[in-house]
This record gives sequence, C-alpha cells and structure tokens, in this order.
Amino acid sequence: MNGTTTTDSTQSRSVPRIKFTYQAALGLLLIALIVLFGILQPVFFHLNVLFDTTSIVGEIGIMALAMTFIITTGGIDLSVGYILQLSAIVFGAVLKSSGSLALAIVFSLAAGTACGFINGIIISKTKIPPLVTTLATMNLFRGVSFIIAGTSSYAGFPAGFKLISTYLVFNAIPVQFFYFIFLFVFFNLVYSRGSLGRSLKGIGFNEGVLIFSGIRTKRILLLIYTLCGLMCAIAALIYLGRLSAAKTSMGNDLNLQVITAVVLGGTSIMGGVGSMVGTFIGVLIIGVLRKGFTLVNFSGNIFNFTLGLMLIVALIVFAVIEERKKTSGRILK
Amino acid sequence: MAKKRVTSREFMLGALVLAFIVFLSLTTGFGSTSGIFSMMLDVSPTIVGAIAMSLIIFTGNIDISAGTIMGFVGFVAAVLAKAGYPFYVFVSAGVLTGMLLAGLNGWISVTFKVPSIVVTLAMNMVHIGFYVTFLPNAGWVLNLSDSFTFLGQGRFFGIVPFIFVIAIAVAALCIWIVKYTKFGKALYAVGGNRQAAIYAGISPDRTVLTVYLVEGLLLGIAGILKATTANRLMPSVFQGREMIFIAAAVVGGVNIMGGSGKVLGAVFGAVLVYLLSITMIYLGFQDYFQFALQGIIILIAVFITVTDFAPLRKRLKKAFAPKKAT
Amino acid sequence: MPEVVLQMEGINKTFPGVRALSNMSIDLRRGEVHAVCGENGAGKSTLMKLITGVYQPDSGEIRLNGQPLKVHNPNDAYAKGIAIIFQETSLFPDLTILENIFMGHELRRPLAGIVRFLSFLDYPAMRKKAGEIFGRLGMEIDLDARVSQLSVASRQMVEIAKALSFDSSILILDEPTAALTSREVDTLFETIKKLRTHGVSMLYISHRLDEIFQIADRVTVIRDGEHVQTGDVSRVTRDQLVAWMVGRTLDNLYPKEDIEIGEVVFEARNMRQEGVINGVSLTLRRGEILGISGLAGAGRTELALLLCGLARPDSGEILVDGTRVAIRNYQDAMERGICYISEDRQKYGLVVPMTISENITMPLLARLSGFLGIINSSKEREISATYIDNLAIKTPGADFVVNNLSGGNQQKVSVAKALATEPRILILDEPTRGVDVGAKSEIHRIISSLARAGKSIIMISSDLPEIMGMSDRVMVMKNGARQGELPRSALSQEKILHMAL
Repeated sequence: MNGTTTTDSTQSRSVPRIKFTYQAALGLLLIALIVLFGILQPVFFHLNVLFDTTSIVGEIGIMALAMTFIITTGGIDLSVGYILQLSAIVFGAVLKSSGSLALAIVFSLAAGTACGFINGIIISKTKIPPLVTTLATMNLFRGVSFIIAGTSSYAGFPAGFKLISTYLVFNAIPVQFFYFIFLFVFFNLVYSRGSLGRSLKGIGFNEGVLIFSGIRTKRILLLIYTLCGLMCAIAALIYLGRLSAAKTSMGNDLNLQVITAVVLGGTSIMGGVGSMVGTFIGVLIIGVLRKGFTLVNFSGNIFNFTLGLMLIVALIVFAVIEERKKTSGRILK
Repeated sequence: MAKKRVTSREFMLGALVLAFIVFLSLTTGFGSTSGIFSMMLDVSPTIVGAIAMSLIIFTGNIDISAGTIMGFVGFVAAVLAKAGYPFYVFVSAGVLTGMLLAGLNGWISVTFKVPSIVVTLAMNMVHIGFYVTFLPNAGWVLNLSDSFTFLGQGRFFGIVPFIFVIAIAVAALCIWIVKYTKFGKALYAVGGNRQAAIYAGISPDRTVLTVYLVEGLLLGIAGILKATTANRLMPSVFQGREMIFIAAAVVGGVNIMGGSGKVLGAVFGAVLVYLLSITMIYLGFQDYFQFALQGIIILIAVFITVTDFAPLRKRLKKAFAPKKAT
Repeated sequence: MPEVVLQMEGINKTFPGVRALSNMSIDLRRGEVHAVCGENGAGKSTLMKLITGVYQPDSGEIRLNGQPLKVHNPNDAYAKGIAIIFQETSLFPDLTILENIFMGHELRRPLAGIVRFLSFLDYPAMRKKAGEIFGRLGMEIDLDARVSQLSVASRQMVEIAKALSFDSSILILDEPTAALTSREVDTLFETIKKLRTHGVSMLYISHRLDEIFQIADRVTVIRDGEHVQTGDVSRVTRDQLVAWMVGRTLDNLYPKEDIEIGEVVFEARNMRQEGVINGVSLTLRRGEILGISGLAGAGRTELALLLCGLARPDSGEILVDGTRVAIRNYQDAMERGICYISEDRQKYGLVVPMTISENITMPLLARLSGFLGIINSSKEREISATYIDNLAIKTPGADFVVNNLSGGNQQKVSVAKALATEPRILILDEPTRGVDVGAKSEIHRIISSLARAGKSIIMISSDLPEIMGMSDRVMVMKNGARQGELPRSALSQEKILHMAL
C-alpha cells in the first residue's frame, strides 16, 4: 500500500503557508507607513532620510533577533533593555579606568553574556518561569548598572569608536543596517532551516515530547538566553557608538520596542510559531515609525504610547486568530 | 489547631518584622519617633498596593502597570482637588479611575485570552506614553492645597498618620473578605486548579474580571494615600512601584504561580521590604540599590515557593510510612 | 421490592470510528453497591461519563428516581445528587480539606440583620457539617491540613466527603483501589459499608474480582460496550464472571508469522521501584514479540518506563546483548537501540501542531544537520517519504500537520518516529488504543514485519485478542509483580485473565 501524495487545499497544510502571507501583509504595512510619513513630510522620501531610519534598528534589531528565539520557546526576556544598559555602563567604566578600548569592549561583551547566562541558568535549572525570572533580573541588572555608575554617566569615547555605528556605507547607508542584515541572514537560516529553529518551535509547543525525542531542551534554553545577553551587549556597543555616552536610563524603553517588533512580526507569545522575517520587517516598521515621528515632531513618549498600543492590538489580533484556528480543523481519514 | 497552622508562616513573618524593628531601633536612629513615623507614612500605600497585587497573583495573573495606574489616580484626584471639588469627590474619582484602568487590563486579558503579563506590560507603556503626551504638564500638578493634603499629612493624636490607619483598616477588610466570601475562595481556586474550579461551578473569567476591578479599587486607594502626602503630584514617581508590590507579596509567601498565599503575609511582606531597604540606606548603600535588592528578593522568594521539595519529602515519608503490601 | 434510584435504558454512544456503548442498560437500587466489571476499554468509563454529564447519550434514557434525567455537566450532576469520585484532578492542592470540600457551595450566614443579601462564609457551620460527614465515615481528620500533604488514599476520602457534602445519594467510584495499599483498601470498604447503611447507592467500577466479591451486592459485566449479564454477587462464581467478560470468538485478524527466534538481546533483572514494581525480570529474544498483559494499575507502563530510562529504578539491572548497561535517561536507551512508543501521544509521542515530516525526523535532527545545524531537507524528505510509504500513513503529503490526522494515522506517525532511530528493541505501550479497526490491523502488520526484520518487541496491551494474536509469549503482571508467563501454544483468554485478576 502506498501513501498518496496528491496536493491539497491550503487549509490543512502546515503553518508556513499562512504565515507567509502575513509577512507579506506586514511588508505592505511598512510600505504604507513610509508613504504616509512621506506625504506628511516629503523630506522623508529622500534616500538619506530613509536610510537613516535604519540607524536605530541596529540595536533593536539585533536584540529582536535573539528575542525571537526566546519567544518562540514560549518564554520571554524582560531584562534585555537593562542588559544593554549594564553592558554599556561596564564599557564606560572600564574605558574610563583603563583607557583601553579593547578592554572595554571585551568586558562589556562579557558582562552582557554573563547576564544572559544568569537568566539562562535560572530558567533552565529551576522551575521559575522565564517571566518571573527576567522580571527579577531586570531589576537586578538595572540595579547593578546603577551601582557601577553611581549617578554619573560616561562620555568622551574615542572618535574611532563612533565609527562602528556612524560609518556610512556608500556614503549613504548606515553601517548598522548591514550588521543587522548580516546577523539576520544567519539567524533566519538557523531559525527556519536549522535544527535549532525546529527545536525552538518544538519547545514552544511541547517541551516534554522534545525531551523524549532525545533533544537537550535545557541546554538549548541556556544557549538562547545567553546568546540574547551577548546580542544585547553587541547592541550596546552599537548604541554607544551612536550616542557617545553611557547613561543609566538607556534601558528603559528598549524592552517595549524589541518585544513589539517580535510580536508584530508574527511570532506567537505562546510559543511554537514564529517568523524571523517577520521580526525583520517589524524592526523596520519600528525604525520608520521612530524616524517618522521625529520628523512630524512627535516626542519619544508619543512613540512609546503608539508602540504600546500596537503591541496590544497585535496581541489581540493574534489571540483571536489562534482561537479561530482551534475551532476549525478537519480530520483526514 | 487550625489557627496555628494557617498563621505559622504569617506568625514568623510578623515576628521577623518585629525583630527587625527592634534591631533597627537599637542600632540606628530608626527608633526615634521620626523614624517610626516615616515608616508608617511610606509603608501605607505599599501595604495597600501589595494586597492589590496579591489578589491578582492568587488567580495566577499579574499586573505590571499597577504603578502607572496609581499615577493616573493621583493625577485625577489632584486635578479635581485643585479645581475645588470636595474631598469625597476627588477621592471617588481617583478610585474610579483605578478601577477603570485595571478593569481594562483584566477585560483585555480575559476576552482575548492574552496572558496578563503581556497585556499589562504593553498597557504600562501605553499609560506612560499617555500621561506624558496628553496630560497637561506631563501630569504634574503643583501647589496643592490643604484640601488635598490634609489626608496624607494629618495624624491621629498628632502621632499616627491618617493614611496608616486607613491602610491597616483596608488590610483588615481585605483579609476578612478573602477569608469570608465565596469570591475569596474563588481566587484561590482559579489560580490553583482552573479545571477543578470550573467543575466546582466557578467561572474563571468572571472571577478574574472582578479581581482586576478590585485591584483597581485598591490601587485607587493606594494612589490617593501616596499622592496626598505631598503637595505636588508627579505621576512618574509611581512608575515601577509594582515591583515593590510583587516583592512584598512574594516575600509574604504568596505563590507567584497562583493558588496560595495570605493577604496578611503580603502586608508583612510590604513592611519587610521597606525595612530591608532602609537597612541598606543605613548601611550606606545608595538608594538605587533598591532595584538590585528587589530583583534578588523576588528571585529568592520565588525559588523557595516554586522549588519542589518533594524528593526531600519523599525520603522523609519513606522513613515513616507503612510499607505497601504486595 | 427494592427501590430503583437510577436507571439507564437502551443507551447508545458512538465516537468517530468507535462504538462505545451499544444498547446498554443498567439499574441501581437504593443502598446497594453495584459493581461494574469489564476489561479495559469495555465501556465502563464512557458509561460513567454519561451519568455525570461529561458526555450526552446519542439515544436511550436515563431516569433518576423514576424521572427522566438530563445532566449537562459534572456540576449539574452534583446538584442532582450524583457524584463521581475522581482520583485527584478535582482537588485544590494548596487549600485545606475544609476548603476543598465546600468549594463552590460554601455554607453562608447573612450579615447582621439589615444587610440581608450580603452574606459571609459560615465556618462553624461548615466545620460542623464536615465533622458530621467524617463522623459518618468513621474518620478523624484534620480539616485544616492541606490536600497537597495527603496521601492518595486520604485524598480519595476528601473526594468522598466532598460528594457527601452535596448530600449525594448516588456515588460512582471508578477504580478506587488502584493506588491504595491493602490497609487503605480495608478502610475504604469500611467507609463504603457505612455509606450503604445511610442509604447511599454506589456504582463501583472495578476489575478486581476479589474486591467485587468482598464489597458488592450485585455485579454487571460489560463487554465491548454491551451489557452481558447482571447478577447477585452471592450467586455468581469467579469463573462465571471471567467467562462473561471474555466470551467472544477469536477472529484471526492478526497476521502472526512464524519467525525464527534468535538469541537473547535484552534482559531485565529484578527491576524494583518502591511501591510500584516488585522485582520483575524478563528476557527478550531477537525477532520475538513478548506480550505484557495485566489490568490497569498492574504496573505495566511503569515497568516499561523503567526499561527505557524514562524512570529510574531503585534497583535492578538491564542487559543488552548480554552486557550490563547503565540507562540513566531516554537518551541512553536510544543509543542502545531501545525505544518506547507510548499510547499517550500528546505527552510522549508527537508535537501535534507540527508536520508529519518534522515529527518523524525529530530524533534524527543531529544526524540530519550539517554546517550551522542546517537540516538537509532532501534527506529529510527521503526519510519521511519512506516511512509514510512503509507504514501506509494516509496523507496528501509529508508537510501536513499531524493534528489533522485521524488517531490511527497519528499513531503510525508515532511509530515512524520511533522507527526512524532504527532501534533494535521496541517497547510498545497500547499500540492500537484509540485507533480504528482498519488502522489497527495495519499496525499489527507493521509490528509483525518488524519482528520478521529481526527486531525484538515488547508489547503492552489490554486488548486480549490482540495480545494473544501477536505474542510469542505473554507475561502477565499483577500488583507490580510478574504473575506468570504463558507460551503461545498455551494461550487462552481465561488463563490470562485468571492470572491478571
């Protein structure tokens, strides 16, 4: 007896089909936003300005890539903003006391990775859920960054350093965009076609079955949270290059931007389903919004407000879709 | 027999609080009337807030926007007070604001089945964005008169602050409600075993919706208690308060996963967290150590609650239990 | 004339592909303990679910005290005086016994006079009533103890007390002694006798014949969803009961081939797990199918978990090809070529929202991926296509989500997944449970061909014809111990059941 392999309607196909059309819609939204802002402020259409939108996506984007991994497993990392802050502060402190740029970079990366590792250890070794863990570590990291910095902030970074964030490729495109794309390619490859990506989705759906299949889920979890810490540290360096100062307030708004980018991109907060491409577009949308708002003179707070609203709406929409999916499902005999 | 077991943990917490206070009084300037007084002043809103958070946590939910809700409460009350409205008007308005905002969180979470963590995380940002953007002066209200501050700054017999008495009264009321109403039991049921709660005829959705409204009410009270202690109102001051509430609840023995814990525990927890932080100040740590402290407190307390000491218990049981017949 | 409190007549219930109950009738008299007896899967739990409102009958009538009865959900059943004793799931572990008993229907007292509609919980009244209930049961209990601290037996008592707090007149006990020690069973029986004198009528579902003879007044035997016989316990013999439970003709649907059985490839010696498994040993040869029979609760699955590293034994040895091996987790077992296919697909087998292909290749991810962990998709497609073909999984393609497949096909995917690791020793736990007849025989065919290919199989099954048709030997378990073994030539349903009961 042979199994039949005829093609069938999209309803019972695996999830990727449906997700693809969502990302396409998201892309359209991005374009629509660009057009909208362009109409409001024609200068928006200038290429320089357009490319400038990608300047902030360096930080958010890189963190969002790692966050996509985490949210796909059904977890979350609320401490990302403060890991970045801590890494930045460490950079500033080490630079100030040692004068060595290389040392500062190394310590900063180490700090971020260590933070991620702490998250990972707690989440993989104890039963404390990621939510509570990162809620607590978020405070912890923030506190430590204050302890190190006191009330001061660090500035006066060597000129060469700024270049990592401000260099313009072809004199137009911010180099950060390339970092982002570069990392995106790798992350996406691993996520959609790698065994890691599949394992992450499996963990999000049903970790027990994965353990039973011989996959070391705890190790994977440790890995992704540590990786996230590292990504936050890298993002910190880029952010520092742009700002040229390390402050103890850097981390406050980043969480929201990162999580919104991921959720907007189609990664389900419940885990199992996700899209790195969606995250990519989501990050760009946030970049466009940011730049657009600045141009129409909306403050950073209106931006946060809008982002919060977008997150809520996205969550609601996805939740509704998920409910709908549950109640429709055919059985193939 | 009953009382002993139920209060044993709370009893220990209470004893700890007492010991702490005594210790601090003996070793630092805390024991003076001003020390005790500022404790009563500072701790009152936290007590009410911690209770509010506990109720939410009992059901297995959370509210990260509690602080910003309180900010709104303060703003509304302050604006109305400044406009000359009498006490009962601005207080009720404040409380209503709290109920509205918290109720919104609950409604979104229940109706769309979105986990409360994410809902309240997003709403927190929405709140912050809102008052900085749309409220005049980013929500700052200055030069509030006595009609507003008499509550916060008044004292009974010149010693005990009004707000402390109110906080204690509210605490007592909440303890009673949780113990003596079906609603109170339902909270634990929904957080402890949702399916069993449904079998018992309890509606988890209705219970969660209601508890958010109650939380809103309590946050309204807490917001007013805090706001009326000063003659200016800055909503940003309230941001992040929820962390203290969560720490207080968790230290007080409330299980972060839901289903168990006592309101009285949260009350003691609130006081303990306060005492811990001023201890750190006395020890010379700057007050931004608070963040790190809260983080560690939450981790330790949750670890204790969540860790399954079953293997240990199993070994103990083996030593004493009768052998199973074959 | 004894009063009939509950009557079910002509009940039919069908689930997709499975006829659960067919023209079922049963009646319960006041104050009687009526045992309901039958093999696993005979329809007992479906029957109970109909009475308690979890399911609705397709046709037929249920009458309570002569009046037609419609129960919409378990809560509704409680309100009507029917209670079922669950094992654990309906208790709140962090709450006290008192709170658990009255959850949802607490006793209240109105606030002082004026405010009449506001009432608060009346603890003294609840304590009094609980005290009465436990008094009736003849037990002393600390009402303020947390349920999480109680043993299974005590929790059961709390469930019973809960049922009584509703003033239930009808109690359904579903395999209540499964997790109890013999002393606890005695206590339970004392309780049941007391309840009986108070006029409570009980349906007692069990396959433990000893107990039925000890405690029941009448017994009804169900087989394949149909009513077989009802009789007074005092006038029925054990052999008769067994015969009623079994009496069916054995169709030879099972393609058992005669294969040359080779050397011993797997051996377990003296496996012990405190309170669960008591010194069980077994051997398995190449190409052999060893059936493990026994009633639910006999410890078959528990034994299987020990054999494949999913549970740790307190003592015992496992030998593969004559060499002692340490199996500390499932990974070790897989590396030794041992695999376990569970009936609980959701828990052990499949990630339901993922595709067939993703599921089948899950244990192979390490092997299938190259640089950076990228999965070799052509190889993946090859493997899944092979298995879809070999196992005749009905699907339009390998990229279809497992969730949309029928139970039988899902089981096949589960099998494929296990086979993908190319194991030598397979432990199958209820391989055809919840599977329709068509897929069932296909799975049997697959199992036979696996044996022919030189694999060694341990098959746990509650389906007597299945186990008799497929096995070379049958080991019967009872109460966590090996009760006996029967070679294929000496197999009969009666013999197996006798050992198992």
